[in-house]
Amino acid sequence: MVVPGQLSYVRRLGATSRLALWSALAAAVIWMDVRVGALEGVRGALALAVSPVQHAMRVPADLAREIAGFLTRHHALQRERDALLAERARYRLVEQAADELSRENAELRALLRQAQRREIAALTAGRLFQGRDWFSQTLILDRGASAGVRAGMPVIDGEGLLGQITRVYATQSELTLVASAEQLTPVMNARTGQRGLAAGLGNGRMELRFMPSQSDVVEGDVLLTSGLDGIYPAGLPVATVTRIGRPSASPYLRIDCVPVAGIDRSRQVLVLQLPASREQP
Amino acid sequence: MSTLQDTGRWPAITTTLVVAFLLVLLPWRGGLLDVRPDFLLVVGLFWVLHSPERVGFALLFALGLLTDFLDGVVLGQHALAYVVGAYLVLQLRLRLLRFDPVRQAVQMLPVFLALQLVVFLVGWLVVRPPEGLMMFVPVILHALLWFGLAWWMLLGRPHRRAGRM
Repeated sequence: MVVPGQLSYVRRLGATSRLALWSALAAAVIWMDVRVGALEGVRGALALAVSPVQHAMRVPADLAREIAGFLTRHHALQRERDALLAERARYRLVEQAADELSRENAELRALLRQAQRREIAALTAGRLFQGRDWFSQTLILDRGASAGVRAGMPVIDGEGLLGQITRVYATQSELTLVASAEQLTPVMNARTGQRGLAAGLGNGRMELRFMPSQSDVVEGDVLLTSGLDGIYPAGLPVATVTRIGRPSASPYLRIDCVPVAGIDRSRQVLVLQLPASREQP
Repeated sequence: MSTLQDTGRWPAITTTLVVAFLLVLLPWRGGLLDVRPDFLLVVGLFWVLHSPERVGFALLFALGLLTDFLDGVVLGQHALAYVVGAYLVLQLRLRLLRFDPVRQAVQMLPVFLALQLVVFLVGWLVVRPPEGLMMFVPVILHALLWFGLAWWMLLGRPHRRAGRM
């Protein structure tokens, strides 16, 4: 019975002991999630429940964009279409050359008795939702396990490597971006072929680690995936070098990079279904 | 002044929470995502203030878990912060209810700052744990030392202790 003017919590436990109780529960949940990893089922169930609402809430923003775009972007679209047609014509040529080369490559590999390169399948996914995590950058994609997405698969957009799938639910999946803090990507300098390790720093930046101070790196160098880890296929653009520092206290250069992929622009992405994908160690 | 004897609060509570939930689910991105308010937290704490017999620790804990899931962070990170928020609002309740809206907002500012620090602290401990969690052992030792000092203070003045009893 609620007595008017008297709080029911006063009659039960005091606020401080209830705070202690609930804090202990929260700490237990954190521990279960981080150390035991026992709560993935809870996440999966929540994902199933929330995903229709997330789809629905994407509609107002999409609609606003459609209306704004319909009125103002007609000329821009025509220009973009012309540019894309020209680009497609150029890619035709490149594609023919690539077909020729891959045929030749297959014959050479057959001669050398090497394993054939395997085809990479890809599926398109749209970005559904972005959560706010101050410590890593993740995106929720609208395809999940039912579409064949598995943890560890690389994700690209039109410009380069976006990141890696880190969690998979039934109908959606979570993508951790390359610039996310402590996310490591084995890379190769496209100009010199030197290999290295690019690490995310958070807030949209990356650094190229462990390059000795005599290394040949200049601003503007493009870093490609090296393919050494067996997770990412070789040759995907990852980042561009923006600044090189030479700290006197360290034997290594301090190299700042920015990711190539349009993290805030791309709405459709490609999930690469590699044969034997593993999670990043 | 809040009217605690109102019995028809549930519709208002549910509606505002659902609206807050939908606002969070809008596709925020980029700079807007960084500055997006935590709608569920604000609405939840508002009802802790005005309807503490209905909205309390349990609901705020659940809202926190929901936020954790939506943001894709460690489960429990926001749950802990929201529970601390409920506690602070309950402690400040009588003050807050006497204030006009401006003063209430100013009073809530340090509360929200404290909650953001809780979120930050948990995230930091999980992502970049310092060498063990040994840094928290001194905290307990501090409390023990404090007990020792307080006890030593009482030693010389037995009469005051007796007076208190």
